[in-house]
Amino acid sequence: MIVDAGYVALAIALLTIGYVAVASFVGAWQRIPAMVLSARYGLMTVPVLLLVATIALVYAFVNHDFSVAYVADNSNLAMPASYTWVAFYAGNQGSLLFIALVFSILTVAAVLGMGRKLPYTTPYATSVMAGVLTFFMFVIVFLANPLDRLDSMPFDGQGINPLLIHFGMFIHPPVQMMGLISVAIPFSIAIGALLAGRGGRDEWVDQGRLWGMLSWLLLTIGLLLGSWWAYTILGWGGYWAWDPVENSALMPWLAMTAFVHSIMVQKRRGMFRMWNIVIVAIAFTLAEMGMFINRGGPVPSVHSFAQSTMGWLFLFFMGFTLVASLAAFAWRMNTLRSREKLDSWLSRESAFLAQNVLFLAVAFITLWGTIYPVFSRAAQDVTITVGQPFFDRINGPLLLVIVFLMGVGPLLPWRKASARNVLSVVKVPLIGAAVTADVVAAAGVRQPVAVVAVAVCAIAIIGIVHEWVRGTRSRHSKGESYPVAFGRLLMANRPRYGGYIVHLAITMLAIGAIGSSFYEVQRDFNLKPGETASLADYTLQYTNTTSQRFSDREEVTAHFTVRRGDESLGAMETTRSFYSNFNVSATRAAIRSTLVEDLYIVPSEFGDDGSAVIRVLVSPLVWWMWAAGPLFVFGTLLALSPRRQPAYAAIRVPRGSRPAQA
Amino acid sequence: MVNKITTAPQGRYLHAMAIAAMVLVALVFAGCNTGSDVPPQEQRVQDLSKGIMCPVCPGESIDQSQHPLSLQMRDLVREQVGQGRTDSDIKSFFVERYGPSVLLEPPRSGLSLLVWVVPVVAVALAVIIVVIVVRGMTRPKYASATAGPTSQVRLAEDEKERYIRRIEAAIESNEGKK
Repeated sequence: MIVDAGYVALAIALLTIGYVAVASFVGAWQRIPAMVLSARYGLMTVPVLLLVATIALVYAFVNHDFSVAYVADNSNLAMPASYTWVAFYAGNQGSLLFIALVFSILTVAAVLGMGRKLPYTTPYATSVMAGVLTFFMFVIVFLANPLDRLDSMPFDGQGINPLLIHFGMFIHPPVQMMGLISVAIPFSIAIGALLAGRGGRDEWVDQGRLWGMLSWLLLTIGLLLGSWWAYTILGWGGYWAWDPVENSALMPWLAMTAFVHSIMVQKRRGMFRMWNIVIVAIAFTLAEMGMFINRGGPVPSVHSFAQSTMGWLFLFFMGFTLVASLAAFAWRMNTLRSREKLDSWLSRESAFLAQNVLFLAVAFITLWGTIYPVFSRAAQDVTITVGQPFFDRINGPLLLVIVFLMGVGPLLPWRKASARNVLSVVKVPLIGAAVTADVVAAAGVRQPVAVVAVAVCAIAIIGIVHEWVRGTRSRHSKGESYPVAFGRLLMANRPRYGGYIVHLAITMLAIGAIGSSFYEVQRDFNLKPGETASLADYTLQYTNTTSQRFSDREEVTAHFTVRRGDESLGAMETTRSFYSNFNVSATRAAIRSTLVEDLYIVPSEFGDDGSAVIRVLVSPLVWWMWAAGPLFVFGTLLALSPRRQPAYAAIRVPRGSRPAQA
Repeated sequence: MVNKITTAPQGRYLHAMAIAAMVLVALVFAGCNTGSDVPPQEQRVQDLSKGIMCPVCPGESIDQSQHPLSLQMRDLVREQVGQGRTDSDIKSFFVERYGPSVLLEPPRSGLSLLVWVVPVVAVALAVIIVVIVVRGMTRPKYASATAGPTSQVRLAEDEKERYIRRIEAAIESNEGKK
């Protein structure tokens, strides 16, 4: 009964959202306010309808209603009700419903948030968002309905993919999906402004930036959690392998990173108006491609668990988006002339431009490497694999240049700087970087690339810290205590200092990546109980294995006693579970994480005689990558947080202080 | 502010602090330099394994995959390294068995050369295009390098703009950049 209600709700949602897409556009174009308003109200009902369908599906899961095909495919009687959250998006149909629901809520929030600020743009933007949602609803209703019934009800369901039962998987896929679909919102705002002929007035910029950064944050968290999941579950000790699905999530992130920077140039200087619209259209196209590859696209991958043939429909939709955006762009291009001209190559504007070019270059190269196997298969009938070595070699140096730019760019003034200006602002970071390089090299880091990479990270850190220290001291000299001075400094220019915090987080990622990729040591051991193995300073003794049988899996746990030098580190254990229904093994690595390095033990094979083949890794600085996560969140939210008072009210010049010099 | 960044008298302490912070970071790095005690042969096995794809678990190298076939293939690599065969010999051994797609790094010859050439060409092209476009939108020379509060003002609009800029600079320096 409830399932049927959900089924009907989906159909009504499709009709409604289709109407919204058309009516909002026609109403705005022909200036029929009633029509625009009807579309707006129509939009409000869609999340409610989708919520009904969502509740129906959850209800079916909780009650083990295996007459629903999706429930039968993704759960079984043994599955605890708490796993419903994961089972909901474990397959294609459910994940599409999840995307549609989240997107409808985001759309309503966006439309409500900008309605008054952007009266001309909002109806067009609404139409674009509704158009995107119509596509999803069409696919859900006609091709992948999560509430479709089976002809005969099976006794038990298939069960849930065991690789998904992990804390990371409880958050990573939903955040990743939200991140990908949320790119549609800044895209719609930009295209809406363009269609309304208001792209040249920078009024859409604040809303575009707000949603762009939220979307960027979701994509960032999604990527980090995905890497963390790979690190703890996939059992090879790495976190990033340039796999097609990883790439497909990275590419929209790269484009959005470019967007949230270049939008600042439009905000501050009224430049890059055309470019911002192009770049957000690229970002959305790449996000669609991410969903396409994840959904049984053409490239094989470890992550594409929700496979289907509908990928090609996504490809079609992607092409449509691109062509339609280009058409709108060509039509309205005359409205997009810049207010300002570029003054100099040595300016923050051109640093932003260089940043944009670099990020898009990395995105393009990643795209090229990801889809090249498809070309090679079509052209020569030979599949060429483009794997990690390619990406490391080509993207690695570009990413290093990006980190360098991240260190220097924010120090440059807007408009123009003379060579002397530049020298004076980069002096401290450069000296610090040189000192760091020396120290690191003297301390025994021998690989030249690693030394250079560390020095580049040092530039970024010192540039930021130096500015903070100067600002805090200057406030302190006016009578504020250091913590207060620092806090107020951050609050005084939130977009800037929030950005700095995000930059610090990126540097932490870079440091983790440098440490673990240049200085990881790894070794496989075949041990009998009682034997010891040693790697780096660590010595581990293999005690024994214990095994446990559950209804759905068999778990074998290997126990170790670990020492570092003479210091005992206690026991560590690593588990391998075999799920016979799926013929899948999942491992849980034993990880001992410190600020300096991770000790990582993972089982490869267990012999019948109690022996174990294990892999041991010592991976330096990995911890820093995961620790960067909260900083990303904090920095982004700080940069977005609205000011209570207008800028000028925040400046209180104490009595007797000298006036500021221009 | 546009003309000159004033250096605070306490600048030297700040440098010292920044350097001290960096020394800490550097020490952390030094701490990680555990000195590899992986025998060179084993290291070669690992490096080779990282470049060979596991045929049944697409996208994963035999180094990262824990599939039984990967374990076997790793043993094969180890055996051949032990026999003293060269890297390219070992790679072609696997290519013969599993086809060219077994190599994770595309060869730099034939049509696969495209994989390597296109990114380089694309980045070069992008830079050239941006330079051309930006040249078109750059302000004419007279307003650049020498511009400052004292330079000659040609148009009323320029004057206004400069005024705004000074206000902006004042605000910014009050916000903590001073």
